[in-house]
Amino acid sequence: MAAVGRVAGGAVTAGAGRSARRTGLLLALPALVIFALLFVAPLFTLVANSFRTQTGAFTLGNYARFLGDPFYRDVLWNTLKVAGLTTLGCLLVGYPFALYLRGRSPRVRNWLALLLLSPLLISMVIRAYGWLVVLGPNGPVASVIKWFGLTPPQLLYNDTAVLIGMVHVMLAYMVLPLMGSLDRIDPTLVPAAKGLGAPGWTCFWRITLPLSAPGMLAGAMIVFSLTASSFVTPAILGGPKVKLMPYFVYTQATTTLDWPYAAAIGFVLVVVTTGLLLGYSRLLRRGKGEVVFQ
Amino acid sequence: MTSTPLTSAKTPPGTDAPRGRLRLDGVRKILGGKEVVSAVDLETEPGEFLTLLGPSGCGKTTTLNMIAGHLTADGGLIEVDGRDITTVAPHRRSMGMVFQSYALFPHMTVAENVAFGLRMRKVAATRRGKQVAEVLELVGLDGMSERHPRQLSGGQQQRAALARALVIQPDLLLLDEPFSNLDAQLRVRLRDEVSALQRRIGTTAILVTHDQEEALAVSDRIAVMADGVIHQLDRPQEVYLRPATDFVAQFIGEVNALDGTAAGGGTCEVAGRKVSATPVGQAPAEGAAVRVYVRPEVVRVGSGDQGEGLHGTVRDTRFLGSRIRCVVSTPAGEVTAALPFDARVPAAGEEVTCSWRPSDASLAAR
Repeated sequence: MAAVGRVAGGAVTAGAGRSARRTGLLLALPALVIFALLFVAPLFTLVANSFRTQTGAFTLGNYARFLGDPFYRDVLWNTLKVAGLTTLGCLLVGYPFALYLRGRSPRVRNWLALLLLSPLLISMVIRAYGWLVVLGPNGPVASVIKWFGLTPPQLLYNDTAVLIGMVHVMLAYMVLPLMGSLDRIDPTLVPAAKGLGAPGWTCFWRITLPLSAPGMLAGAMIVFSLTASSFVTPAILGGPKVKLMPYFVYTQATTTLDWPYAAAIGFVLVVVTTGLLLGYSRLLRRGKGEVVFQ
Repeated sequence: MTSTPLTSAKTPPGTDAPRGRLRLDGVRKILGGKEVVSAVDLETEPGEFLTLLGPSGCGKTTTLNMIAGHLTADGGLIEVDGRDITTVAPHRRSMGMVFQSYALFPHMTVAENVAFGLRMRKVAATRRGKQVAEVLELVGLDGMSERHPRQLSGGQQQRAALARALVIQPDLLLLDEPFSNLDAQLRVRLRDEVSALQRRIGTTAILVTHDQEEALAVSDRIAVMADGVIHQLDRPQEVYLRPATDFVAQFIGEVNALDGTAAGGGTCEVAGRKVSATPVGQAPAEGAAVRVYVRPEVVRVGSGDQGEGLHGTVRDTRFLGSRIRCVVSTPAGEVTAALPFDARVPAAGEEVTCSWRPSDASLAAR
């Protein structure tokens, strides 16, 4: 509080700068405390636990077991694959939608944004069961296929079902940052490019797309990390046949009661996801995108 | 500098047909149910610097966007060098446009920005590099080629935008309020530079601005626009000294507007006195209601009643630095004179006559 008082006093000295910085820190404090207590501290516990045996002795065994088992390596790979494909799906569905939204009136935009957010307003479990009905053997999708005289393929309990369900949930996380990014592009850039001789597609590839990279990056990071760690939707739509990391953390913790191993699986997922995202953003940053992150 | 390919390319040897003749014929545009441009006609000479001047919403930017192709005309014809481009897509026209926001591509360096148009024209890399370097030198940006737009000052961004527009050797150079984002001093300097550069290169330029001083300073001709129509299209001196309509007179600078009746032969009667002025367009018939427009700068104030001119009493004189402002009460209303520094300054209450050369004032039907 003393710091706030000094700023209000208006001392234009080096001390004022320092106290202004302290005020800034005060503003961030509640968030920092929550973050430290509810994320950083448990993460340390998680890491510590993953290096213990069930009886509490130090061991590297949990990681050796994970990395040495082709089954688990396969689960890790499948998790990254599903997260990656969901991200790609969201990008392919979301980008045209964000582009479409850019040219609309504020009223249309608000309604469509609400529509986009609507899946998030429904409980995850209910939404997933909804897909269970839609994609089920007697659901509308199967009926349409049967109507054409074809045998409907297995739509549920596989990667595709998980992918459809996840893209549905995650779309908003991709479109919202994309919209923000597209809105920040000076609307005269495309006319300028056209005037210089660039046809519509070239304008898109060379102007709009690279300049919306920050939005794509942000959206992709959110969608990828949320999908890689999601549990409910894959569990309901994928069932036991779709083997994803969060599901195994869950079974290790609740069924096998092997908490240290569950911690190790969880931590591997955290490290791999973070590593991939960092690498991804570095790659984009180092490329032509440098200015994009202004 | 004068022999850069950019300059010589405008008139290739053997062909002396000059390029850059723009013609608008009855061009119209309706936006949101409102006719923002109604039947605009104009024609430029090759190499001319033509300005569309008017307040915001007068249709000048819409007109420019139709020339550039960003908007399609709802009626009329747009021609460049005899070729109808009314419905041609913007990327198939050859227009170098400088935007108010400059519209430089933020993810490209200055050189990449300038090279963009050449790339689209599939100019080979070596020639491209050479042309980019030349045009950057021309606008005074040599050494800045590897910078990104955000690393440039406002003036430098403006030059980069100009270079990008010029390097494609466009049929027309279109300037959309290009100086309005600059501070006053820089604005004047860049505007004079652009005007000098345009004259040297010889590209026909169309400038859109709401700044009357800017228009007067750089243009060969000015088209004064309001409510989607051109009120007057003439040389700056004409537009300033002999405004054709009330709007032109009021929009550009200060004016004395005096109501009277036409008396034939370029004269008219104002409050019972004979007054001379130049009719704009067709001379009004004798007895018609007319209005005389006189700029304060051309009004001479002589002592006593001198027969011709408006007789009155000095109400106020004020020293304004560059000029002396003198307000005279006459039977036709107040007449303001901006007297030069060395003029004899009449005192308030003095009997004077306000007169002017007939060629310095205009006469239009009311």
